[in-house]
Amino acid sequence: MEYELENSIIDKMQPEFPEAAFTIKKARRVEVKMSSDKLYNFAVRMQKKWNFLHLSAISCVDWLQDNEFELIYHFWNYDEKVLVMAKIRIPREEESHFETISNLWQPAKFFERDIHEMFGVYFDGSEDMERFILTEWHGPPPMRKDFITREYALNFFHYREYDPEWLKDMTAAGEANE
Amino acid sequence: MEEKLTQRSVWEKISNKLSKRSLWMLHYCTGCGAIELPPTMTARFDMERFGISPMVTPRQADILLITGYLSVKTLKRVVLTYEQMQAPKYVVGFGSCTINGGMYWNSYSTMKCLDQYLPVETYIAGCMPRPEAIIASFNDLIAKIDRGEANSWKDYYKNYDFYKANQDRTFEGPIETYNDIKADAAMFNIK
Ligand code: SF4
Repeated sequence: MEYELENSIIDKMQPEFPEAAFTIKKARRVEVKMSSDKLYNFAVRMQKKWNFLHLSAISCVDWLQDNEFELIYHFWNYDEKVLVMAKIRIPREEESHFETISNLWQPAKFFERDIHEMFGVYFDGSEDMERFILTEWHGPPPMRKDFITREYALNFFHYREYDPEWLKDMTAAGEANE
Repeated sequence: MEEKLTQRSVWEKISNKLSKRSLWMLHYCTGCGAIELPPTMTARFDMERFGISPMVTPRQADILLITGYLSVKTLKRVVLTYEQMQAPKYVVGFGSCTINGGMYWNSYSTMKCLDQYLPVETYIAGCMPRPEAIIASFNDLIAKIDRGEANSWKDYYKNYDFYKANQDRTFEGPIETYNDIKADAAMFNIK
């Protein structure tokens, strides 16, 4: 049978999370979409029961049209060598909130701090939500879709135009080609 | 300028002659262009032929080589490093990122024009410049020092308000510097 391993994993998980939607993306890659309040329970079971010991990453996607943030938790199982991506959606606000899982995985702190400064999602209950990489940053969270990088850069930094005579022929030729 | 040149004292001429052949370079390798420095320093192109050698601390260095883009975060460190260096000191902007942002021209976190924050002695164009270009620009710098024209470091003392305003605007507030630039300017007799 194709995807035997993946299906056996889903069969283990599905009874405990009946409304979660499991999909097999490809070999060894399982996606699960669930409501955000189930995530913590899911993470606990992942670590303690199903032996997914490694949290590879937490990533965030800004869905501007839906006014939602999508958080994706990547869990890895060393024995079965399967990656499970748990996807949840939370409302998109000026400062969105979600619960931390840093008490389960220490490295989650770094991912959460990173998401906080890049997207403005605050993780309640984490010990340390200080700035991580953008320590000298004063603007809005830069990875949000409504943050216009070019506009910000041109307003904030001094910019020097470079338009010498010798380049004009080449630019015109290039534009004519388009 | 001409007039000033003729007014150079004999001592200054001698010191320029000597210092042009003994330049210590602090390379601040932030950008990708830094990868061109190892061949420049080592046997292949061997910049020690020109008396230029890498130095690890700012206080003993003469050249501050900025290789590529600087994010606002590193720019702050560069300004502090620059202020620690002993005059005369020469900033060399390396690569198009230091000239007008290069391919990061619309990035939210990298500065675009280095000369808004530090007085740049010479730029090396290119993305990234070949070791030949680096050596050519060092030769230019050496010739400039010999002629007594490499004086952009004085500009930092003269126009400190301009540089300081740009720095403060970018860092959104004054930075904690350990050098009293105004007092240094008085010491060098620069107004
Ligand atoms: S000028 Fe080019 S090589 Fe140099 S730092 Fe910028 S992008 Fe990199």
